[in-house]
Amino acid sequence: MAPGPVLSCEGLRRRFGGIVAVDGVGFVIQAGETYGLLGPNGAGKTTTISMIAGLLQPDAGRIVVSGEPVSTRAVAVRRLIGYVPQDLAIYPDLSARENLVFFGRLYGMPAARARERASEVLELTGLADRAGDLVKTYSGGMKRRLNIGLGLLHRPRLLILDEPTVGVDPQSRNAILESVESLAGEGIAVLYTTHYMEEAERLCDRVGIIDHGALIAEGTRDELVSMVGGRDRVRLLAPGDLGAWAAALAGREWVHEASVTGQGVDLMVTGARGHLAEILAAAAQAGVTVRSVEVTEPDLEAVFLHLTGRALRD
Amino acid sequence: MKALSIGLVNLRRAFRQRSNVFFVFVFPMLLILVLGVTFGGAATPRVGVVSAGSGPLGTALVRQLEGLPHLKVVAVGGPAALVTDVARGNLGAGLVIPRGYSEAIRGGRAVALRYVQRPDPSSRQLGQAIQGVVAAQAAVLGAARFAVAQHAAPGFQAGLAAARRAEALVPAVTVRPASAGTVPFAQRVGEFDEGAWTELVLFLFLTAMTGAVGQIEVRRLGLSRRMLATPTPPSAVIAGEALGRFLVAIIQAAVIITGSALLFGVGWGSPPGVAAVVIVFSLVAAGAGILVGTLFRNEQQAIGVCLLLGLGLGALGGCMVPLELFSPAMRAVAHVTPQAWANDAFARLVGDGATIAGIAPQLAVLAGYAAAVLALASWRLRRVLTA
Repeated sequence: MAPGPVLSCEGLRRRFGGIVAVDGVGFVIQAGETYGLLGPNGAGKTTTISMIAGLLQPDAGRIVVSGEPVSTRAVAVRRLIGYVPQDLAIYPDLSARENLVFFGRLYGMPAARARERASEVLELTGLADRAGDLVKTYSGGMKRRLNIGLGLLHRPRLLILDEPTVGVDPQSRNAILESVESLAGEGIAVLYTTHYMEEAERLCDRVGIIDHGALIAEGTRDELVSMVGGRDRVRLLAPGDLGAWAAALAGREWVHEASVTGQGVDLMVTGARGHLAEILAAAAQAGVTVRSVEVTEPDLEAVFLHLTGRALRD
Repeated sequence: MKALSIGLVNLRRAFRQRSNVFFVFVFPMLLILVLGVTFGGAATPRVGVVSAGSGPLGTALVRQLEGLPHLKVVAVGGPAALVTDVARGNLGAGLVIPRGYSEAIRGGRAVALRYVQRPDPSSRQLGQAIQGVVAAQAAVLGAARFAVAQHAAPGFQAGLAAARRAEALVPAVTVRPASAGTVPFAQRVGEFDEGAWTELVLFLFLTAMTGAVGQIEVRRLGLSRRMLATPTPPSAVIAGEALGRFLVAIIQAAVIITGSALLFGVGWGSPPGVAAVVIVFSLVAAGAGILVGTLFRNEQQAIGVCLLLGLGLGALGGCMVPLELFSPAMRAVAHVTPQAWANDAFARLVGDGATIAGIAPQLAVLAGYAAAVLALASWRLRRVLTA
């Protein structure tokens, strides 16, 4: 494998008429890393990955995959890239095996090798027992799995997944997320676009937040969360006189705010999980019986809200 | 090789649907059958003859009628049945040779033969041909009776033998036909022939046009985009699409030509000539199908236009009404369509027995159409795929 990142893109810009769809986007992905491109619909995610897949020529910027530049004219580099589109780009009137063998041939595999890889991918995606059935008879989840399998057929170094769980039932969604998690272990660099914050948090080593065509923030989940102060909310339900307890907690340096509500105490703290025992010990000292504890940690949704003033799904 | 893979997938998809198999192969064959039975029967008119009990001279007259070209003599049981069959159109005309015909002639009595005809020009033409045969026999019979009357023969049978011998020796007066101008319909065309080639031309184009729907579906499903995300250049995708349409057309043509020849006895003429017309016309049709497929975003829009163009151009190009029946001005307009040139080529091959060299002008025009349509279709498809 070539040294350096699997994907490196910088300064990507693409305009459609008077609308700038992507404006100066750049990031790198290392082998075995899953990078999430998180943003609302229309943020520029699909345009960005279309350029990275070599399907759309950027107006400006540079894309390199394993040392080879990507453009719409650079056909050979596409052997390094697996592209899983958001749409179910599968022939419905062919079987799963026929679909796989056909695309294997387009990736340049000899016929025997294409058949062999088709069998492997059918096993991998759990479709082996329905391999000969026409795809139009499959459930939505099975089609999604085949859609992803087609992207893995040629063992790419970079796998691009464009919102692969849209319209999928929870069970199939979980299966898809598990299969994506396993890819990183095989050394594949994964670029995963989504507008589901939970998926980005679960799958991605690093996340780029994109809005209005621009990458407005990038980093690990913790790095991004720290941008909003990294404060956790702790809500404690307890009866009785809570003033002394709240005052005692307010004196701690990791407590930023402590307020008595009608049913308990609300705290804004740093590192809530590490200080829960101390909070409960203080309650015992103050003679307070805590009935329930609720910890709310800041998430990427909060980060997006903080950065844009809008929710992810607005 | 990638273009071949794409072409073969298109081919597999086209014939995987049973409805496609019906409309591509079975339906054209049914139409050839219907057209042949409905309009092709007049090619060999059938003349019914009642000759039971007419004796040797009656049998001899039937043999002479059977020797006439372009008609078929059918034995009928009696005069009533003959009249019924002629009235119903099962027979073009009929002749009744009465019982005792030979005896009456030998006895020197006058005999009248009854000719039953339909009130149309074709039946009257048959009557003239039959009258000619009867007159020829009457001349020999008259000569035999003359020989008896002049005591040159001892009896009628001897006189008849002498007259037949003399007939071979007497210099005959013959009419030698010479043609001027052109005939509207080729003379060698069989019952099913014209229907077969016009339906072939119609359905080759129609099938390729409706193939545009599949092409739009491939684009709508994102399959074209997925193909381009593989190490496959747009030129291979375009070539594969064209190859798929072309292979469908070639297989359709092979089945219709072979099937119509085996089932209906259609004589297609020079195999190299037929192959050449099928290949260049299939290229035109494939290009047209791809071109139309690039002009619409969804299948519903495309299917109406495809049927309209396929049937409309087919009608204008002589696939529904023979070009020979068009006015000269309309015939000139019809030759804007590739169908008219293909029909001309088949008419020359089937009707006139032309070889591939004899249809060189038609092939050249069709090749020009193919080059132009395929170039335009490729340009449009590249723009659509890479937009």
